[in-house]
Order: sequence, then C-alpha cells, then structure tokens
Amino acid sequence: MTTTLSATMRPAMASRLRVSASHGFPALLSLVALVVILGITVANQPGILSVSGLTLMLMSAVPLVFAAQAQMLIMSVGDIDLGIGALIGLVTVIAATLLAESPILGVGMLVAIVLVYALLGLIVQKRGVPSIIITLGMSFVWIGLGLQILPTPGGTTPEWLTALGRWRPEAIPAPLVFIVAATVIGWYLSRQSRIGTRMRALGSSAPTLQKAGWSLAGTRVVTYVLAATLIIVSGLLLASQTRSGDINSASNFTLMTIAAVILGGGNFSGGRALPVGATLGAVTLGLITVLLSVMSLSSSLQSAAQGIIVLAVLAGRIITERFTR
Amino acid sequence: MSRTAISEPALSESVGTARSATHTAPTIIARGVTRSYGRTRALRGVDLQLEHGEILGLVGHNGAGKSTLMRMLAGIEQPDSGEVIARERTAGKSWDAASAAASGVRMVYQELALCNDLTVAENASLSDPRPTGAWGWRGRAERRIGEALDTVFPGHGISVLRRTGELAMAERQMVEIARALCTDNLSLLILDEPTESLGVDATAQLYSHLRTLTGRGVSVLLISHRMQEVLANSDRIAVMKDGMVVETFAASTATEGELLVVMGGEVRATDFEVDAGAISPAVSGRAGGRGEIVASVRAASGIAFEARAGELIGLAGLAGQGQEQLLNKLWSAGALSRGVTVPKRRAYVPGDRQTSGILPLWSVAENLTISALRGLGRFGLVDGRAKRALAARWIAALKVRGDATTPITSLSGGNQQKVLVARAFAANAALVILDDPFRGVDVATKNELYALMKAEAAGGRSIVWYSTENSEMAHCDRVYVFRANRLVSELSGESNTEERIIADSFDETTGAQR
Repeated sequence: MTTTLSATMRPAMASRLRVSASHGFPALLSLVALVVILGITVANQPGILSVSGLTLMLMSAVPLVFAAQAQMLIMSVGDIDLGIGALIGLVTVIAATLLAESPILGVGMLVAIVLVYALLGLIVQKRGVPSIIITLGMSFVWIGLGLQILPTPGGTTPEWLTALGRWRPEAIPAPLVFIVAATVIGWYLSRQSRIGTRMRALGSSAPTLQKAGWSLAGTRVVTYVLAATLIIVSGLLLASQTRSGDINSASNFTLMTIAAVILGGGNFSGGRALPVGATLGAVTLGLITVLLSVMSLSSSLQSAAQGIIVLAVLAGRIITERFTR
Repeated sequence: MSRTAISEPALSESVGTARSATHTAPTIIARGVTRSYGRTRALRGVDLQLEHGEILGLVGHNGAGKSTLMRMLAGIEQPDSGEVIARERTAGKSWDAASAAASGVRMVYQELALCNDLTVAENASLSDPRPTGAWGWRGRAERRIGEALDTVFPGHGISVLRRTGELAMAERQMVEIARALCTDNLSLLILDEPTESLGVDATAQLYSHLRTLTGRGVSVLLISHRMQEVLANSDRIAVMKDGMVVETFAASTATEGELLVVMGGEVRATDFEVDAGAISPAVSGRAGGRGEIVASVRAASGIAFEARAGELIGLAGLAGQGQEQLLNKLWSAGALSRGVTVPKRRAYVPGDRQTSGILPLWSVAENLTISALRGLGRFGLVDGRAKRALAARWIAALKVRGDATTPITSLSGGNQQKVLVARAFAANAALVILDDPFRGVDVATKNELYALMKAEAAGGRSIVWYSTENSEMAHCDRVYVFRANRLVSELSGESNTEERIIADSFDETTGAQR
C-alpha cells in the first residue's frame, strides 16, 4: 500500500483516483444512460453537436441541475424537500414582478425565503418533524403566495436577468457553463468544505456528530440555508429563460430532483453526496424531452420515459453491485 | 549571541520543571460521585483518582458502573451528587463535554463513534479540535490521521481516503483509537474495551504506544475485561462492583484471582474439579433429564448448546460475548440452518420493548394475543370471544394493572414487560426465548415473572433466557457461560452460583482462543 511506505506523505495520486472511482461508481451508470441518450439523439440529428445545438438541448437542464444540487444537500443530511418545485415557481413569480417593479422588496422576499428555510431546518432538528411533512406543507404556502402575487402566468423579468438568459458565448454552449458552475458549487459545499463533512456526518450518524462536539441544529440550519440559496438561483435562471413568472412552471421539479439525486448515486437515508452524479442525473432526465422530439414521439410520453430510465439505471446498479462485491 | 543561545534552553528547561511540578497533581479526581437512572442507581459514591502519567485499569462485571463513570469523567454526563475535579479545567467553568474536550480529555468508545459514510480523514477531522484553514484542511486532516495511525499501528495498511464503513472491524477500531490521539494537549485518554476486536499484533502496538504517551505525562484510563492485559499493562487497577470502586490494587502485585474475588467471583484454583463434574452426564442428567432435547446448536469449538423440554436455561457472561447471536440462531433458524435444531413453534421476548416489543397504538389485549392468534382463528377469522378470554386469563394471572382495553402505552414499564412475557407464553410455543427482558423492571414484577417462568418450564416448555444480571441465573436449571462467542462452561445445581459465573466469564484459560 502506498500509504504505509512513507510515514508523513499523503496518499499518492494513483490510490486517490482509485478510491474516488470506487466511491463515485454509483454515478457511473447515470453517465452510461446519458451517453446512450446523447448517442441516439446525435445519430438522428447530427446538427445537435454544434454550439447552438447543444445550447438548445441543454438549456432546460440548467435550472434543474441547480435544483438537484439543492436537493442533494438536503438529502445528504437524511431529509427530503418536497417543496422545491413550488418554491422555484414562486421565485420566477417574484423575479417577474417584484424584482422588476421594486427591487428592494423583491430581494427582501428572496432573503425571507432563506430565513424561512433556516427556520424549517431548526424545526426539523429540534421538534423532530419529518422534513417531508414540513416541506410538503410549505409547498402549499409557496403556491398560495405565488397565486396571490401573479394569478396568471406573465410579468416581465428585470433587464439584467433577461440579459443573463440571452448570454451566448461563441466558443462554448452557455448552459454548459452554468451546469459546470452548479456542479462545482455543489461539490465544494458537500465534499470539499468542512460544513459538507458535517452535513454528511449528520445524515450518516447524528449521535457521532454530537459526540464530536458539533451542534446538530446548526449543521441542519446551514444545510437548509445553502439549499434555499441554490433553489433561488435555480428559480432566477428559469425566469431568465422564460422571461416571465409562472407559479406552476417547475411543479415537476420536485420529484425530478429526487430522481436525479438517486440516479446519481445518492440514497434516501443520507450520508452520501455525489454532486457529479446529481448533475449527470439531472441532465439525463432533462434530455429525455429532446430525445422524444428527435425521435418524433409525443412529448406527453416524457414522464413515462423518465420513469423507465430511472428504473433501468437503478436495476442496473443493483446488478452491477452484486457483481462487483 | 552565544549567551542567548545558552540561556534559551535553560529557560525552556526551567519552564519545563515548573510545569512538571504542577503536573504532579492528579489528572482527574472523582469524589463521592453518584448517578441514578430512574430507579437504577448506576453509581453509589465513586472515589477515583487518576495520577499524572499513569495507566489505571478499571475492571468489573456487567452493570458495575464502568461506562457511567467513564461518561462522568469525560464530562458527557453530570453526577447527581459528588464532584469531578480535573487538573486542566479552566477555573470557574463547569466540567462538561466542551470543557473536557478543551482540557485534552479524549475517549475511545466501545461502540465505535464513526460515521460510516465519511472517509477516515473526514471522521478524524470532525473530532480534531485543532484549527485548520478553510483551504487545505482536507490535506492537513489526511496527514494528521495518517501520522497518528503510522505512529501507533505501523504497517496498518489503512488508506485514509476510504470510507470507514468499508473497513474491517479491527481497522475501524484502529481508526477510532488513532483519531483520539489527533490532538495537541492530550491529558487523559479513556479507552473502553479498546482491544475487543484488535488482533494480537495491533494490541501489542497499542499498549507499547500507551507507554510512550504516559512517558509524556498523559494519563490513561483502561477499561477492559481481559484481565491478563489489564494486569500486564496497568500501573494500578481499580475494581468496581455495584456502582462503587471497591478496591484499588497495584498491578505489579495483584493477581487475577484477587481481582476476581473483589469483583464477586471465586478463585479459579478450586474450580477445576467442579468444572469436570458440571459437564459430566451424571450431573447435567439430573438437572436436564426432564424431557427430550427440543433445541440444540452445534458449535465448532466450546460446548454445544442443548435445551430439553421442561428446562429453564440461562445464558450468562459479559454482555456481547455471543449470547444474542445464539438467541438469534434459535429464533430465526429455518430449514436451511445447519447445526441448529429448533421446534416449529417458538416465541420471543425482546429486550428493548420500546423499539421491538410493544405495538404502541394497540390495547393491552391486542398486544397480548397477537402471537397466539394462529391458534384462535378459524378459516382466517379470529374468534373474538376466545381472544378476549385468553387476554383476560393472562391479565388476571400476571396481575397486569389496567384492564384489557387500556392502551399499552398508559401502562408502566414493568407492566408493559409483563404483557410482552405473557404474549410469548400465550402463544403455546415449545421454545420461549427471552433476550434480557427484565432490564429496568422493578423487583416485585421480576419475582412474579420468575415464578411464571418456573411454572411454565415445569409445564413442559423449554425456556432460554439471556440475562446480564448474574444473580437472576440462580433461578435457572442450567446456565451456559459465554466468552468470546463460545460457550465456555455449563453450570447446574450446586455449581450454578454467581461467583462461578463471574469467574468463568473472565476465564482466559478456556476462552482466550481467537
């Protein structure tokens, strides 16, 4: 073993890579699914392999990737957020109305959302309320608020947000930049930062984290705050693409983010966070609509196709795990 | 220039001597510490003193209060009365987990405190109080735990990048020990059964490192049931019994026999002839000859387990030496289990009634009859009258407070336990398995249940009863003593005494095979 040869040296690059590969293995199947879907799409429509083609294809995945990273953070402490879709809808509504009309009020509302999430984290920890219940309840609050502000889809997003959505660099597809940024942020928060270690420790074994002298409530609150921030970014990016607000625009995000995290190797019990996997899962699910249209199938089959992909990847993971063990 | 060069070491030396003068004070003192959990008095006035730079062994049988005392010393729990005085404590601050950690008290838990989903380095960084930068902390954590592992266990072969869940038990134990050493100002190291899953080499490495630590002035509290190790590696040995430190020996002069006597056991020398008698068919035939063998478990080494109809069989020994595995074998044996024969109808009384015993939303009667429903039904329908009659009979027999329709959660713990025991006996099973069911049950209830168990055994059932309370074993016809996952002795009749159980459960001559 390389680690034992020298007393003070850190593990060598080779063993580092080997361990990362074995830890990231569950995300691999989601990569396989992504490559297969991409392969079929390109075979049918070779034009897609251009900057503008990839931009069109990946655009819808951008908000989903940010939302999936938020869900991954929540799931790494062992919780599940069922209010993500409704909250992203509310953020688009705020972006298309308040943020353009009175920016101070708009920003104030976004900050208030973060504070509410901090409170949710505190309640989940201190009162033992299951996160599923409390976030499901909050999703109705978000929908109600959104309908109150903007009963029908519409509004206009502020100029800077529209400009962000219109940004098209020559050399690389703009969505790819956002997707990579989301992954790096998620990776830094969950894997590289100290708070990320505490998050996963909380999901893995809360008593151990407590014995090590850390505050469980503090860890959970920080997790929820970070997740809320990512959710808001996701909502703003969605609004920048649609240039309007719609409370129902992201209602399918809730279950899709959970599916993305699971596809990317996460689990429901907490303790794990695979940011690259979550991104791969989200992009795979986002590409299905493109695939269906390229194969000239009805887009109403989208949900069924997504479901089949999720089941196929999970079945594949169970089979490969049996072989590798 | 040269003057300062000379005066500098001289200065640091004088600081060093000044420090060692203050360090001669004991590292930690417990004075009259008591602690109760409900009715159980875990500690009844413990006095203990841990000197600077010594290894103090702490021994005692189940429930002597070792773990509770350890938590008091580490500041995790506060004593009801009495006090814990630590040398390193900042004046004016109470002795809690935070101030204990700040004064360099570290603890290695028996039930390892590691997050299985985190890597070795991440686990170590969680409990490392030393400051790290926001950047590069990961590299620093990897180097620190790597160094600690290399220092204590050279040639360990553990990669600090792996998740602890992927490591073998012995490796996890090494990580748990090494990460306790990841601190600068270590003053007191508390080890709870640190060698339980370590191999011979790693154990030797650990003890030699402990000596290096004490040379630096660290005090070590070593809790272990391996008498030879404690005798060989401690400076002094404190023996606990019934929540008190009853005696303290110098390790160099004490013998295993002396320790056992103080713990409540008997001296090993007289045991040998009785031991042979206990296993001989003449003696066991007297106690166990009531009926045919209904259950048996063959063992690769040690004594094979046998249960006859009409017998009350006790499983004794230190906690976690394989008793639960045997119960589990008896309970979950199927057609494919090799070496295990069990009757078809079995009943089980769990130890932890809150998590695996009661159905909290159901009434007393429903809880009591759930296992017996098979016998009460016809064509898949439950005969309600027979069910009520059965419940009423058991409630009357066991004097359960409250009637059949009260919710189970409104009963006291002891009465809930009665319902669970009644549930097992009402099921008409040939073999009844009890997994330490009387923890925290009051004496009156216990006596009623002992009588019930004896009566049921006399009625032809076979009862297997695991208990951590050695005095309870006197009620049994035969007792198997466990050590290191093997049955090391079988006691019955006159050999079935508490002293013998204690002696046999520490008996390294028959049990030390690993």
